[in-house]
Amino acid sequence: MSKILTISPDKCTGCRSCELICSFSKMQAFNPKSSRVSVLAFEDMAVSVPIMCMQCEEPSCMKVCPVSAISKTPEGTVFIDGDKCIGCKMCVSACPLGNISFSTVEGKIVKCDLCEGDPKCAKYCPSGAIQYKEATPSNLSRRKLIAEKFKELFGEVTQ
Amino acid sequence: MKVKFFGNIRDITGTKEIQINGAASLRQLLQQLCDKYGKTFNEKVYKDNNITGEVIILVNGRNVYFTGGIETALSKDDEVSIFPIVAGG
Amino acid sequence: MFGWTGTVLRVNLSDGTIKKEAINSKDATLYLGARGLATKIMMNEVDPKVDPLSPENKLIFMTGPLTGTFAPTSGRYVVVSKAPLTGTIGSSNSGGHFGPELKFAGYDGIIFEGKSEKPVYLWIDDDRVELRSAEHLWGKNVFETTDEILKETAEDARVACIGPAGEKLVLFATVMNDKHRAAGRSGMGTVMGSKNLKAVAVKGSKSVEVAKPDAFLEACEDARKKIKEHPVTGTGLPTYGTEILVNVVNQVGALPTRNWRDGGVFEYAEDISGEALREKYLVKNKACFGCPIGCGRVTRIPEGRFKGFGEGPEYEPGWAYGASCGVRDLAAICKANFICNELGLDPITMGSTIACAMELYERGIISREIAGMDLVFGNADAIVELTRMTGMREGFGDKLALGSYRMAESFGHPELSMSVKKQEMPAYDGRGAQGMGLEYATSNRGGCHVRGYMTSPEILGIPEKLDPLVTTDKAAWLKTFQDLTAVVDSSGICLFTTFAIGLAEISSMLRAAVGWDISDEEVLKAGERIWNVERLFNIAAGFTPQDDTLPLRLLKEPLPSGPAKGKVVELDKMLPEYYKVRGWNEEGIPTEDKKAELSI
Repeated sequence: MSKILTISPDKCTGCRSCELICSFSKMQAFNPKSSRVSVLAFEDMAVSVPIMCMQCEEPSCMKVCPVSAISKTPEGTVFIDGDKCIGCKMCVSACPLGNISFSTVEGKIVKCDLCEGDPKCAKYCPSGAIQYKEATPSNLSRRKLIAEKFKELFGEVTQ
Repeated sequence: MKVKFFGNIRDITGTKEIQINGAASLRQLLQQLCDKYGKTFNEKVYKDNNITGEVIILVNGRNVYFTGGIETALSKDDEVSIFPIVAGG
Repeated sequence: MFGWTGTVLRVNLSDGTIKKEAINSKDATLYLGARGLATKIMMNEVDPKVDPLSPENKLIFMTGPLTGTFAPTSGRYVVVSKAPLTGTIGSSNSGGHFGPELKFAGYDGIIFEGKSEKPVYLWIDDDRVELRSAEHLWGKNVFETTDEILKETAEDARVACIGPAGEKLVLFATVMNDKHRAAGRSGMGTVMGSKNLKAVAVKGSKSVEVAKPDAFLEACEDARKKIKEHPVTGTGLPTYGTEILVNVVNQVGALPTRNWRDGGVFEYAEDISGEALREKYLVKNKACFGCPIGCGRVTRIPEGRFKGFGEGPEYEPGWAYGASCGVRDLAAICKANFICNELGLDPITMGSTIACAMELYERGIISREIAGMDLVFGNADAIVELTRMTGMREGFGDKLALGSYRMAESFGHPELSMSVKKQEMPAYDGRGAQGMGLEYATSNRGGCHVRGYMTSPEILGIPEKLDPLVTTDKAAWLKTFQDLTAVVDSSGICLFTTFAIGLAEISSMLRAAVGWDISDEEVLKAGERIWNVERLFNIAAGFTPQDDTLPLRLLKEPLPSGPAKGKVVELDKMLPEYYKVRGWNEEGIPTEDKKAELSI
């Protein structure tokens, strides 16, 4: 069974260590804007939520890609083939969660690729809010629940 | 004597304060407390026959480090306070 | 450059010009960054005798080489200026997310000069930097101002601003960033107000790079691991926040009670403790940028007349409004602290000033007519109402806006102000912890606990246990702590890391970040250099050894109860020794030899 990233917003303290280590592992420099994970803070509710590509079962980004640069690996990772990608940014618009973006610093489309099986955000999260674990029926359904909530939240903040 | 617990030591003891008698030294007191509160308390406070590095113990407000450590003599009017090591600013 | 961005902004508020300058790399090496580098710039560019609230004073925001990196607690920046409350060098640092964002925009810091004719704020969007009108924001509180600016600039920008207290020149106004984090002490918000500068907003998309990425990651991992495993930073602070100290300091008899009049034992300490806060009002922990500790408290008072939602209180504000004002109502303490954040007030000075007024009232020196209320110790409504009135400079609050020293002096009793160099001392009675007494007397920004933190060895036993009641060796310990603290504050990380890590770990991170080849000892030397330059600034401003003293109460009135009963601060024993270990002459002035040794 494959592993997935699980998020526990109740544990997240909003320190954004994940953003730092993600950008560092991808580009050897610290740059939250180029991080594949972002921590969204909803201050009035005292909630902060790390959010990254959910590696959807039916990825919208994959469907819209005109050059078939996006595929799903056997392990379940939604993967972008940099050689095929033409940088049209259709996928950016298509992702309902806003988890795929164009990095101006790196000049390419970027999203979480689970660090090839060793996600740094989970490894360094000091509070245990991001974990990388086996996909069990219970945490899969929980993850879907959270994804649905994000869709609602996002609908509100990005409209 | 009166023994007060603070911070997460309270989570172990389930109480802020107790009266306890019969201990003539801190060692005897801690042994009594370990019997009363079990393994978690034991590991947190009193390990290898000494005070762990994870707690501050005061007798009448003085750190026992300066009053004889684990062998500090106790009498029935003393007040013993046990804290997890904490800090702030 | 690595670690640093290499660029600072120079903003002249008088003529509206904005320049980008390269940082002086020699000074950056000698003074590290943040507190050290900004102080050096003050020394180079500002006459120490300047009136703090005149256009000739400068206001400097500065980050350190570790700010915005994976170094644990890398969210820090500092605000430095000549301080209006004390007349000393003022420096106050803060966490949150503002400092790193400034670096991501490509700047190590900002030097503000002059005074704007009308209220303005600075908007930094990477390379685009502009002054904008803030006339519509003048009078708004910190939360309103922040929300309004985020609307006008970018949703994901970061804002540091002042509230009404800074605008109205309350002498202990704060600079607030990310709404709840404060550059709290020394009145840096007052200087900002005097320049008609309402806020700085910043958004950045650039990278902070380090010289040796692999070595840097390794050093950060090591430091993070130690922080996570240490009982204080891994368990104590995350679980209880800084308020956890209330009970322990009270038990050792060093919790100053009722304006320090009633000694160091507060009979209601349990009611205002970190344990009580957690049980009653804690909503969630909150961390600053890059911080694995997360000591911040999000708190909510769900109902009643002190209903509110916000952050804190930290230990010091909890004490200032609690034990020092004799108040046991934790809801009122939280509320007063929330108001400080909204209006931009330093809660340590605010609570202590109210405590001082309470003693003057109980002695019949301040009448009911003047106070406008029954200002007795323990009056919970008074701490809330007077905080609001001070921030708005209404009624008796206008008097309190001067801080306890000037307020008490105006009633003929400056000796009842529990301050050093006119800044209020925080929550540890030096009579019960001798090293803290010496620390207050010698701090370069007046009464202060975070320029050395002798509480750590004296009360908490970290890194070693020092007997709080004796004076032996305290001078040498204090010197080392002061120098190390200067290193921490200048690197861009938080002092709380030092419960778990020390000079070796911090030096490793600095070396890898900047690409330095310097020893741990040289890093500590930089801390000593910073301390001495601050001292030289104060001497040039007119301070003398007579100012390195404490309120008479601490020198003459023995503690009435508790384990330190009968003790006063034996400053006369420790101060000459301190000057000596510092390599200063008997007048407390750094000798030529010392200056040469430190390349000053």
